[in-house]
Amino acid sequence: MATTTAAVTLTSDLLSDAMSVNASTTCMKAGTTADGLDQLEYAVVEIPTGDEYDLICSTPTASKASKLYVKNHAIDETYFVAITQNAQAIGRLYGGDWMFIPADFHDAAGDIAITSNGGTNKIEYALFHEGTALTTT
Amino acid sequence: MATICTIDISSDAAPGFGGINESMTLTQAGSLTDIDSTTGFQRRKLSATAAVDLITMASENIEPKDSVASKVYIRNIGDGKGNIDKTVGVTIGVNAEPIGKLYGGDWMMMPLTCIDADDVTATPATDDTVVLEFVMFYEEA
Repeated sequence: MATTTAAVTLTSDLLSDAMSVNASTTCMKAGTTADGLDQLEYAVVEIPTGDEYDLICSTPTASKASKLYVKNHAIDETYFVAITQNAQAIGRLYGGDWMFIPADFHDAAGDIAITSNGGTNKIEYALFHEGTALTTT
Repeated sequence: MATICTIDISSDAAPGFGGINESMTLTQAGSLTDIDSTTGFQRRKLSATAAVDLITMASENIEPKDSVASKVYIRNIGDGKGNIDKTVGVTIGVNAEPIGKLYGGDWMMMPLTCIDADDVTATPATDDTVVLEFVMFYEEA
């Protein structure tokens, strides 16, 4: 079985008592306890300002347990990318920000799209999944 | 005051994949100033398949600023009694758009718009008891 683990450490002193969260999960295929995510799409792309682009070129199998990591490597803190899914605005990743989400790509319109602002943003992403719709030539 | 989040991913799905280890300091939009507001750490226990608002943007005690650098952390911690079931999933959504399903033990860190309509929702797949932990960091409007 392929094993993919994702761990997080979150600390904050915004509250009177400092917060510290540690968690780790083994990323499994949807609804299973013994079969891990075994496929991976990993890339770095530069996104120019202007148009909105699909970040995921092919459609991973819908309604599964895919996990998506995205990081904005822009070094200018004023640069950001806007993330949308199925035309719904999710949020912004400024230079240095990352996100890690489950992504079930519920249908063909459920792609994750990205729009660059401020200048060209260098984006790293990794999609851990359990199958994708391959395109025949 | 700083809020820092670190991720560490390892995988043998591809032999050459060296893993990911990144840290980010949560800052206000377009600046190096630390983010300054939080909902605090919360738990929500769910035992039905109905969709619920985890975060209702228009009802926050401190109004969040729209379309900036807000983030939310959510984790499915199982039944809240130490039992984590990888087969029990909760779909997390934004403004009724399903983002993805958190199975037992899974966590997510996601940016948010904090626009009033863009509530964060949770929809369990079954009526098994599941507890979500979550915290939102945002800028005050």
